[in-house]
Amino acid sequence: MSGIETVKVIVDAEKQAAKLIEDATIKASAIRKSLDSIVQNQRQQMLAEAKKEAAGTAARAEEEGRLEAEQNETKFKEKLQSLVAKASARKEATVEKLVMLTMRAE
Amino acid sequence: MSETGKFTEDILNNARANAERIVREAENETQRASDEARIAIVREADAIVRNARAEADAVKRREISEARHRSKLREQQEKDKIVQEVLDEARKRTFAMVADEAKYLPLLVRLIENGVRELGDENAMVHLSKSDLARVGSSLEQRISKSLGQVKVEWSKEPIEAIGGVIISSLDGKIRIVNTLDQIFDALEPKLLIEARISLFGE
Repeated sequence: MSGIETVKVIVDAEKQAAKLIEDATIKASAIRKSLDSIVQNQRQQMLAEAKKEAAGTAARAEEEGRLEAEQNETKFKEKLQSLVAKASARKEATVEKLVMLTMRAE
Repeated sequence: MSETGKFTEDILNNARANAERIVREAENETQRASDEARIAIVREADAIVRNARAEADAVKRREISEARHRSKLREQQEKDKIVQEVLDEARKRTFAMVADEAKYLPLLVRLIENGVRELGDENAMVHLSKSDLARVGSSLEQRISKSLGQVKVEWSKEPIEAIGGVIISSLDGKIRIVNTLDQIFDALEPKLLIEARISLFGE
C-alpha cells in the first residue's frame, strides 16, 4: 500500500468514526427529548387512574352512607313503633296521674 | 492484519465505544429523570386518592349524622305529640270533673280556703262560675266561713267566666287571687309536661 493509500484508508476510518459519534449524539439527543413526552404520558395515565379510583371511592362511600342511613331509618321505625306502643300502654295511667296532680295543686 | 488495518480498527473501535457511552449516558440520564418524575407523580396520585377517601369518609359521616339527626327530631316530634295528647286529655278530664260533685266540691272548698289565706286580708270576696254559684248552698258557705275563722267572706253574685275553681279578691277588687281550673292547669303545665314525659317515656 502506498503512502497516499494509507492516508486515504485512515481518513475514511476517521470519517466513519465521526459518523458513529454523530449518530450516537443524535440518538442521545432524541432519547433526552423523548423524556418530556414519556413523563407527560406517565403522568396523564397515573393521574387518570387515581381520579378513577377517587371517583369510585366517592361513589362507594356515598352508597355506603345511603345504605347505613337506610338501616338507621329501619331501626328508627322499629324503635319508634316500640316507643309509641309503650307510651300508648301508659297513656291512661299518665292522664290519671296528671289529673291527680292538678287536683292536689295548692 | 497490516499496521494500517490495526490502526483504523482501533479508531473505529474507540468511536464505537464512545458512541455506546454517549447513548448509554443519555439512556441512564433519562431513566433517572423518569424515575424521579414517577416518584413525584405517584405522590400526586396518592394525594388525589387520599383526599378523595377523606372527602368520601366525611360525606358518609355527614349523611349518617344527618339521618340520625332527622330520626331524633322525628322521635322528639312523636313524643311531643303523645305528650300533648295526654295533656289535652288530662285537661279535658279535669274540667269534666266539675260535673262530679263528690270529687269537685272538696277541691273547690280547698281552692277557696287557700285563696282567702293567700289574700291575707280580713275580708275576702269569693267569685264563682255560674254553675258553681247555682250549687254552692248556705251549708257550704257556713263551713268555709267557719274554717277561715276571723276572715269575713262575702260571696259575689256575679258569675265569672271559668269552667270551675274560684277567684278571691279584696273587697275593693284591687287584689285578686285566681284559682280557676284553667289558671291552675296553665300554671301547672310545665310541671305536668315533665311528669308526663317521665311517666310515658321514663325521661
